[in-house]
Amino acid sequence: MSTPAATAPTALAPDPAAAAAATRALIVGLAGLALTAAGIALSPDRHGPVLAYLVGMTYWVALAIGMLMLVLIHHIVDASWSVVIRRQWEHGLAAFKWLFLLFLPLLILAWVKPGFVWPWMDLNHVLHGHGTVGTDILYQKKSGFLNLPLFTGMTVAFFVCWIWLSARLRRASFTQDADGSVGWTSVNRRTAAMGLPLGALTLSFAAIYWVKSLEYHWFSTMYGVWFFANCVRGALCCGVLIMVWLYRRGDFKGIINTNHFHSIGQLMLAFTVFWAYVTFSQYFLIWNANVPEETFWYNLREVNHDGSTNQWWYVGLVILFGHFVVPFLALLSYRFKVTHHIIRRIAYWILAVILVDLCYNILPVLKDGHGDSLPFLSLNLLWVVTSVIGVGGVCLWAYLRSFPTTKLIPIRDPRIGECLTHHE
Amino acid sequence: MAAPSYGLIATFATVPNLYQAAEKVRDAGYKHWDCITPFPVHGLDKAMGLRRSIVPRISLAGGILGFCTGMTMIWWTGAYDYRLTVGGKPLFSPMFAFPVSYELTILFTAFATIGGMLFLNGLPRHYHPVLKYDQIKRGMDDTFFIVIEARDPRFNLANTKALLAQAGGQEIKELEA
Repeated sequence: MSTPAATAPTALAPDPAAAAAATRALIVGLAGLALTAAGIALSPDRHGPVLAYLVGMTYWVALAIGMLMLVLIHHIVDASWSVVIRRQWEHGLAAFKWLFLLFLPLLILAWVKPGFVWPWMDLNHVLHGHGTVGTDILYQKKSGFLNLPLFTGMTVAFFVCWIWLSARLRRASFTQDADGSVGWTSVNRRTAAMGLPLGALTLSFAAIYWVKSLEYHWFSTMYGVWFFANCVRGALCCGVLIMVWLYRRGDFKGIINTNHFHSIGQLMLAFTVFWAYVTFSQYFLIWNANVPEETFWYNLREVNHDGSTNQWWYVGLVILFGHFVVPFLALLSYRFKVTHHIIRRIAYWILAVILVDLCYNILPVLKDGHGDSLPFLSLNLLWVVTSVIGVGGVCLWAYLRSFPTTKLIPIRDPRIGECLTHHE
Repeated sequence: MAAPSYGLIATFATVPNLYQAAEKVRDAGYKHWDCITPFPVHGLDKAMGLRRSIVPRISLAGGILGFCTGMTMIWWTGAYDYRLTVGGKPLFSPMFAFPVSYELTILFTAFATIGGMLFLNGLPRHYHPVLKYDQIKRGMDDTFFIVIEARDPRFNLANTKALLAQAGGQEIKELEA
């Protein structure tokens, strides 16, 4: 069954549709970035649009990390059903170097105007009710980790790691198309053995530095895991969207079958439960221990200083039901998992709620004079949308630019035969 | 008249023979019949016209029951039967009842899944008429069988025999009940 095509054609037909779509994506992306920049320049409170940009960046970095982790997991467990979709994730990994470029403004801002994005970088930043960051004992104790040089070095190191791992995975997989050597599969397995711990550490520290440190007083050992769950859920949803897109376009007809959708749907269900488990554990441990250093994080997202419920309380409920209950119940169904238009809708839904989850984690750091979080429904939401479209357009462009450069599927992967006849 | 038979068994030498014969038996409208193969034949369920198992629904029922049991148990013990404030927490909160409910959801789902599977398969079963057939052990080695039960409403000794023969079945035998 799995004899690789010995005389596979090496020339690829040009794909004008993908090229045109790539250009469109880039134009939309640049427009989004320009609008976000205008928002930052023109807003009276610039902190809001900058954090909105951080949301957009984190969102797309999360999706790319998810794809990276899924490709690594595919190789380490020697999976067969996902060979076909793995190729599309490999194209998605092309976005990392552009994501690094798009992250640079935030890094530069951190040096030019410390404390503008991450308040702890400005030692003179006045904390609500007790002195400055520099005189805060919690900051002093954490300053070995929370300092600008280490932040910068680590951030650069994260991207170097991700870009390097992506390049290795892509090169091995794409070269195998041409020479058919099984050796590339072993190379990728070694990359996976090394890349998985590396990926786990970098994504955890990225989540801690970029997102969690916005409220540096807080403690949570679940944070990296929470971020990982979102990354993988997002990447699985992207995989489903690509599968449906390529199936409808005709490319995947005869290549993927019902069982591929069933399998990826099962992973979506598994990671929905995993996300819920981790997110609930984080909340439950903090709720149960009831220590002010930890509970303040949730209090900010539930009540104002006068005890009245704020908007983030409802956002939290949207996340509870929208990020867990609804997708969980929907994904239990076999029919929903294998019906293209339904699983596509579920994928869009989860991708949207991941964005809400990131907003919930990042935006409440914006506070008014009483130390209450600024509401969810505000102008900042507009800048979140422009940032997501802006960074997303560039990522989509990178994907679509990589897409026509290789064969649609890894035709000489040792498991390709198994993949094409995937069954329950 | 001899004792009523359990049904008819036919032998097939290869997977394609069996597969095509299964499609013919399916199209003839039989419901109470089965294929015996030494290994799983992918796509045979479709050729037999089998629908997806209803075990997942039994699992879901088990899961819901487990979740409700957990919540009720924690409420009953802590907030009703023996009211006791622990650690300044409310007498009942879904928050601390959740880990228990979650575990019981999994436990009851597992019980329901295994129990449902055993029940639907009619297991455990110590005797099956097919086992009396002297060639049946080859069904675990190198031969394929189709068994059509006499209780099937479409069963008719002569016609069913003819169908199996026409579908390519060899050595069509009646099975003792």
